[in-house]
Amino acid sequence: MDFYIGLLQVIGVHSLLGLSAWCVLHTGQVSLAQGGFFAIGAYGAGMLTTMLGWPLGWALLMAAVLAGGIAVAVGFPALRVKGLMLVVATTAFAEIVRLVFFNLSWKVQTPEGLIGPDGGLGFGGIRYFQANAWSNLHVLWLIWGLVAVVMALLWSLDRTRIGTLWRAVGEDEVAAQSAGINLTAAKVSAFGIGGAIAGLAGGLFSHNTTHIEHGNFTILLATFAIAYPILGGLKSLAGTLVAVVFIQGVLIEGLRFLGDWRSLLFGALILLVMLVRPTGVLGAPLRLPFVGRRDEPTSSAIPVERTHHA
Amino acid sequence: MSWIDLLDLLQSVFDGVMFGTTYALIGIGFTLIFGVMHKINLSYAAASIGAAYLSLLVVQIVPTPLVYLCAALLGGVLGALVYLVCFRFLPLNQPLATLMSTVGMLLLLEEAIVHATAGMPQNYPAVFAGVVFDIGPFMVRGDLLFVFALGCLAMVGLKLMLEKTRLGLATRAVAQQSVAAQLCGMSVSNTNATTFVIAGFLGGTAGAMTGAAIGVLSPLLTLPMTVKGLVVTVIGGLGSIPGAIIAGLVVGGVENLFQFLRGVSERDIYVMLMLFAFLVFRPGGLFAAPGGRD
Repeated sequence: MDFYIGLLQVIGVHSLLGLSAWCVLHTGQVSLAQGGFFAIGAYGAGMLTTMLGWPLGWALLMAAVLAGGIAVAVGFPALRVKGLMLVVATTAFAEIVRLVFFNLSWKVQTPEGLIGPDGGLGFGGIRYFQANAWSNLHVLWLIWGLVAVVMALLWSLDRTRIGTLWRAVGEDEVAAQSAGINLTAAKVSAFGIGGAIAGLAGGLFSHNTTHIEHGNFTILLATFAIAYPILGGLKSLAGTLVAVVFIQGVLIEGLRFLGDWRSLLFGALILLVMLVRPTGVLGAPLRLPFVGRRDEPTSSAIPVERTHHA
Repeated sequence: MSWIDLLDLLQSVFDGVMFGTTYALIGIGFTLIFGVMHKINLSYAAASIGAAYLSLLVVQIVPTPLVYLCAALLGGVLGALVYLVCFRFLPLNQPLATLMSTVGMLLLLEEAIVHATAGMPQNYPAVFAGVVFDIGPFMVRGDLLFVFALGCLAMVGLKLMLEKTRLGLATRAVAQQSVAAQLCGMSVSNTNATTFVIAGFLGGTAGAMTGAAIGVLSPLLTLPMTVKGLVVTVIGGLGSIPGAIIAGLVVGGVENLFQFLRGVSERDIYVMLMLFAFLVFRPGGLFAAPGGRD
């Protein structure tokens, strides 16, 4: 039973991570910085509860605000570029964050002993849940409660003016700009909200695992973050959730009986999904790969190049 | 800083620049593929390391230089495979689809390497491994010099191929204006495939050079090589081959400079900050490709 609760907790945290990437992808930007914001949230919330003794709620809020604020600050210079350049810029940012935490050693004396990030050894002893006698089930409720809140917020946001602006920028930047939409505001707001959600997810992650280290926050994590919405399909929020359940539940846990072969199959299955459903699982009608596909690419050869070729 | 320290610093920068040829080759591969397809192939560095791994199969049978040649050829084969699986049958007007398929390929290649070698680093042969040349107060490692020479050779070969052959002409034509190239009777998809094979040759060479310079191959190399290759591509300017070469050497040098000054765990922070500085002050890179007509 504990195993399934743990799995559901992981799925919840990764859903939040996927939703954070969804915001940014919605404006047509591919960002690999989500892992960096996740790391900021994880370390930030962990340091607040263990080293300063803050209650969890405030620590999570602070983690979200901090990650969101940094996202806005980074977003202004980074979002001047797009496509491949943005992928590389955000990769560089995520690597800087990871390496800063890799080099950060700062321990303080608390009633439980010396505690704090310890460079390459990681940051252990984030035992807020254990210290306050939260059961696994309580943690599960907290995580999924927050997932529900974030999904509800994004769902309603998608139906307001902001969501329309984001989608307009995502569909065609030039058209959106000529319609008088402020591109920078749209992109930076999506980046900031995405960063805040990633920070929240990171805070939950560090308290759930109790030990974090820089190796948790590599480019691989950021790749997973953008893989969820892309595999699920950008049209719906539910797609992200489906993709997280598929990847974390089926591919990573469900195929454990395959042993070593599982991780081989993992990459192959991502490839397969992209071949069968290039716009995501819930994206478009089913199309067969290898059949009648040569008609599509010609449209991309028309000189009116899409501005966001990544 | 004393005189001896300054010599050490120059020595490590010099070593870094020589190793930078591998970054330059990976960067050229990214840039070539971006040039013709306007797509990014994230599995490229993994395929390059994978080609070097595959060349270990013949290491017992043939002399070391032929192992490198094998790595290059296998890189070409892997390049064709990546094109076939990740690009040929995907709708190219969906930028995210090929991004994701190459990520899948990256994970697949990495895991295949881990699976085949049980995750153990493998020794890779080097030429002139024990040889050291003394130039004044500096010393030059023979194996690193060979790697540098091999990298330069690959770049010269690429330049000749692009400028003197019909294939190179087609590649450049498709990169400049794919519709016009198509109207002139060139097959865009064939040219794309050939570009992947050529980039694969370079990648295989780079993988072999990495193995020769470090002495071992490890699946842990794939992600850092991917990141460094992308950094080089952007600093050099997207689609610019001379830019990628210079940026590769600069990144190699800067990396070793900060490794000397600040230690190995911090060096990449400064490389990434340098990239950020480029994005803010010179977003087009060192040599931005001429303004797009399309």
